[in-house]
This record gives sequence, structure tokens and C-alpha cells, in this order.
Amino acid sequence: MLTLSAKLKTASIIAIAMASFAATPALAEDITLWTLNFDNNAGNEALKKAATDFEAANPGTHVEIVQRAVDEHKTALRVAAGSDKGPDIYFSWAGLGLGGEYVKAGLSLPLDKYYAEYKWDDELLPSAAAFADLYPGGKHGVPFTFKGEAVYYNKKLFEQAGIQEEPKTYDELLAAAEKLKAGGIPAFTFGGTVNWHVMRLMDVILETKCGAEKHDALKAMTLDWTKEPCAAESFAEFAKWTKDYTLQPFMGIDNKQSYSLFTAGRAAMMLEGDWLVSQMNGSGANLDDYGIFPFPTNTSRLYGFAEYNYISTKSKNPDIAAKFLDYFLSTKVQQDLLGQLSSTSVNENVQYTNQKPLEAEWLGIFQKYDKVYMNGDQAFPLDVTTEYFRVINEVASGGTEPTEAAKQLQNFIASRT
Amino acid sequence: MSLRQSTHDPRVQALVLLVPALAIYAVFALYPMINVVILSFQKWNGLDPNRQFVGVANYTAIFTRDPVFWVAFRNTVIWTVMSLIFPPVVGLLLALSLNQKIFGRNGLRAIFYLPVIIAPIAVATMWKWMYDPFFGLFSQLLTSWGMQGWIKDWLGSKDIALYSVFVAYLWQTVGFSMVLFLAGLQNVPQTLVEAARIDGAGRWAVFKHVTLPALRPTITIVLVLSIISSLKAFDIVYGLTGGGPAQSTQMLALWAFTQAMQIFDFGRGAAISVVLLLITMAVVVPYLRWTQRHEEVEA
Repeated sequence: MLTLSAKLKTASIIAIAMASFAATPALAEDITLWTLNFDNNAGNEALKKAATDFEAANPGTHVEIVQRAVDEHKTALRVAAGSDKGPDIYFSWAGLGLGGEYVKAGLSLPLDKYYAEYKWDDELLPSAAAFADLYPGGKHGVPFTFKGEAVYYNKKLFEQAGIQEEPKTYDELLAAAEKLKAGGIPAFTFGGTVNWHVMRLMDVILETKCGAEKHDALKAMTLDWTKEPCAAESFAEFAKWTKDYTLQPFMGIDNKQSYSLFTAGRAAMMLEGDWLVSQMNGSGANLDDYGIFPFPTNTSRLYGFAEYNYISTKSKNPDIAAKFLDYFLSTKVQQDLLGQLSSTSVNENVQYTNQKPLEAEWLGIFQKYDKVYMNGDQAFPLDVTTEYFRVINEVASGGTEPTEAAKQLQNFIASRT
Repeated sequence: MSLRQSTHDPRVQALVLLVPALAIYAVFALYPMINVVILSFQKWNGLDPNRQFVGVANYTAIFTRDPVFWVAFRNTVIWTVMSLIFPPVVGLLLALSLNQKIFGRNGLRAIFYLPVIIAPIAVATMWKWMYDPFFGLFSQLLTSWGMQGWIKDWLGSKDIALYSVFVAYLWQTVGFSMVLFLAGLQNVPQTLVEAARIDGAGRWAVFKHVTLPALRPTITIVLVLSIISSLKAFDIVYGLTGGGPAQSTQMLALWAFTQAMQIFDFGRGAAISVVLLLITMAVVVPYLRWTQRHEEVEA
């Protein structure tokens, strides 16, 4: 028999449970956004504020934001892909790699209808929006952020080596590296333990040596790496840069250590993304001491990648999801978010004021280019990316000859089932 | 037998106590293991709702086409051999030293055992800093001693990276071997040691003919546990090199994880895990049989 106390406890539990159900009625216009937990907390707060403001502007709607670390997010998406439940909107990278895998698996809803309805192409930065057209079967996703990568250089070290101007061609860059070397200054610094850092060098060299079309075809694996001489030439050039013009040793350090060496003036250049400006600013570096120029590939394309928000095919409310994305991409919201999620916006109508010198330079770069070539790890499927990393590292370690490197990569691609 | 009688039956009581543990073991250990074996014959990327049966294709792929599998296999063998030699030998030497009546030996025992309780990933972070070729402890020490020529890219050179990682692993695990040997040394009959000394045996002779034979069961346990621990080596390699440079420090456990959780080829990841499981079983099963025989003899 239940005691009075036990009866009271049971009644209380039932009451609380009923109250909970009453307090959170299931809304017809609920949407869920799965995204990353960003390192920059201001970005996390800004995202939540955008959701709250959207709810206020659209009574009856509720936007739930679920944030996870990168690996947990990827795993959660895989679980969601295999079940009926999941988010209405999900964050992923743009490109045929990881983002493309979800598109291929049918998790992403084609958004052509919403692009036309909301006229997104009219307000998005063309270089950022271009990724939506990469996939077969329509437009997928909308840009969340766009990241450009270029060469940061130490002005004092350039001056010390007698380099008067920013290199505008690949030959000028080589000449500058040679001048730096003669002055005892390593041209570049890279971190080898994180494979994607030194991969950037190989990517930009491939773009330079093969040109845009062949580079894209090689990354799309529609051209044979052993039959295109530019592939082996690129590996040879890459080997030269890592051997002669890179701060040694670099294979045992990561990107953060490499960054410390760059700001300590141990190397003259670093191939990094636009996010480095806020990182440098935060660590107290004098931004006036540094300059930026796009790696001179002579293809009129900017090196970069984008992060996208995709609407899930499993969404019960795709129209509300699209409405939220439209709100998020609007000039007003993007203007408010500026500097919190990224130093530049994917909306081309956003106005920039009080910019730091390097931020202004980045804006100029973004406005100049309307075409992009992607990082290797975004362009290749995951297994090929892993092999690409291995081959690059083998070449950088001096363990594999350039022609052999091209052969090994092609063999791997050919053996995929 | 009535219900009341049967509940007093020790066998029934044992079963009742065992069932929860067995159920948990079956759900969280046995089922995943069986599932991994099944998965090793399937193709699945974690996205498709269906897994496709592919026969032995995953095994064929890892044995014949995977450029990293045999590197990982070789490294696992090298690592295991080193684990069979260094932690037991260093552990035994430490135990012999700390079994002497020296000042502060309890404190020293605690200090040498301390790394065992640190998470391997924390050990990796610590050693990564020490190995930094520019600002790390070893480079700074060598520079201050005027031995700059000895500074290496400890974790970045394909020739030495595996051994650099192993040194960190040795630092972490040697305390465990030491404690087992210390326990074993307490069981060495002092009467035999004293009798040998009376018979004129020197230190080495006592060690060789009395201490070492008495430590035989402990040595077996240390060696088997060292092998099992070495086959599972994952965290410290992941934290220090991630398998690089150019996969030169890749191990089977880490490569199985990479295939399954980073490349999302769960079939191949499972196939590598099964290979690792078979190698581990080849070591563990004889050990378990030996332990069982040993217990039977003692009983």
C-alpha cells in the first residue's frame, strides 16, 4: 500500500509531466537546425539571436538550434540519414567531398524553387553561391560562410630580402622565394601533422600548373593523373617548395605551431584563410605589419571553400525552413551578424565600415573574383582525400618521386569500387 | 523442489547474480563484436539505409589494394615486439631497484606509477610539446648543451616518428609492469634467497636461479598484458601523429578507426578490426588456457 508521502510524490510527478506537456505544445511550424558549436562564442550567440528574432517576426514558428562538435555533428547526420527523424536544416561544407556525400545520399532537398522565389542569386556573393551549382539534380544548399585563402606575408621580412612589390605572377613568387632564401629567410611555413595545411600548397600549385579546367577534372577524377604531365610537374614543384622554400622541419608541427612561427617572424609567408585576420587581431599582432595577396595562379580563380546550410529531404516544413534561411541571408540580419560568424558576409549588399586594413584587403579580393577552386579535401571523396594526403606527405618527406606520386594516386583512384 | 528451496540453491543464486552482468556483456560486448564480423562482409557508408553484402571484398581490398594496411600491420608488429621487450625489462629493473630498502621508495614507486593513471591523450599532448622541434623541451635542452646537431623532427621524420611515439608510450606504461613485478617480488621465498646466499651464491646467481624462476608467472602475465595493450595502441598515436607523417606511424587499431569513422567505410574498418581481433585472440586464448591450467594445478 502506498503511504501518503508516496502518493503525494506520485501525484506531483504526474502534475509536473502534465504541466510540461501543456507548456510546450507541439507547434505546426517547428523547425530544427543542426549546426556546429563554433569556437567563437559570439557566433553561437548571434545564431541564437537570429533564430529568436525570426520567431518574433513569425508568430507560431519555433526554431530549435542543436549544436555539436564537428565529429559528433557528422555522426549525427549519418544517423539521421538512416532514419525518419532529423533536422529540417543542416550545416555542412560545400563541394563534392563531405557535403556532396550527403547530397548524393539524398539527404539534401534541391532548392531551385526557393532560389527563384526568394531571388537569392540577386543578393548572394557570386563566389559563395557558386557551390550550390556543383551538384547534379539542381541547386543544393545556401551559403552560410565563405572562406577565401591567400598568401599572408610579413612586410618587414619582404623588405629585408629586397622584395619591393607583391608577386603578381608565379615566376615573381618564385623569384621572391629565392630572394628570401638568399637572405636566410624561409619563404613559407606549414604544419605537416594536419594534412590539410600543407595540402593547400599542392592545391595552388596544381591550379597554377594545370590551369582551371584540368585541375577541376583531375580533382573530379575524370582525368588520369599519370597521363596529364602537369600532375607530375605539380608534385615536382611541390617537392621543390617544401624542400627549398619552407621552414624546416615542418612535418612534425601542426598549423597552430606554424602560425606561432609565422607571427614570430621565422618565415615570411603563410597560406591561410581570411579567418586568420581575427586570429591575428586577437593574439595582439600588429596587422599593419602584414599584407595579403592571392596565390598567383594566373587562372582568375580564388582559392577557397564555403560552408552551407542545406534543407533536409526529411523536413516536414521545408517552406518554413526556406523562409528562415531567407531571413538569415537577408541584408539586415547579415549586417548584424558581420564580424560575429565571419569577417565578411555571403550577402553582397552588406556594408563594411571601420574595417581593419587586412579585412579591407580581403573584401577587395572577394569582390574581384567570381570563380573559386576548392581545397582538395572538399573536392575529393573522403577515401581519395586520405590517399591524397598520404601521397603529398610522401613527396614532402622525400620518400616518393613526383611521377611515382601521380602513379600512386591514380592507382588508388582506379582501384576504387 | 519448491520455489523456496530452489531460491536457496547456490547454483540458482549464482545464476541470478550472473544474469544482469551477462545481459550487459551480451548487449554491449558480444552483440557489437558479432555485428562487426557481419559488417566486415558488407559495404556500408553509414548513410544508406541498407547494407550491401559483398562477400570477402573488404578483406581482398585491405590485403591487396589498401596502400596503408600493410604499413599499419608492420608497425603493429614492430610496436608489439618493442612492447614485449622494453616495458617489461625497464619495469623489472625499476621493481628490483624499488624493492630495495632505499630512502623514499614509496614516493618513488608512486612517481613511476603516476603516468599510468594519466589519460593517454593527455600524455600525447604533453609529449607533443616536448617533441616540438622549435620550442620543445628536448630541442631546448640539446640547444643549451650545444648539441643542436642532435635535434630531429621527432614526430615529423618517417624514420624515427614511430619510435618517438613509442618512447612516450613506454613512459606511460612502464609503471604498470613495475607494479606487477613488485607484487611478484613479494612472493619470492626469502628462505630460498637466504639459503642460496649461505651456499655462496652472488647477487647475479641469486637473481638468475632464485628470483627469476619465482617471477615466472608474473613475467607471463606482464608479457601477455603488454601484448594486449600494444595491439590496442590507439590514443597516444592518434594524439601525437594521427598516424602520420605519410601514414608511417599508422597502426591497425587506428587504421580501423580511420576507415570507419573518418572515411566512413564501415565494411573495411570492420574487416581491419576482425584481423586485429584474430591476432589478439591468438595471444589471449593460449594465455587464458594457461591461466586456467595454472589455477587447476593450484587448486
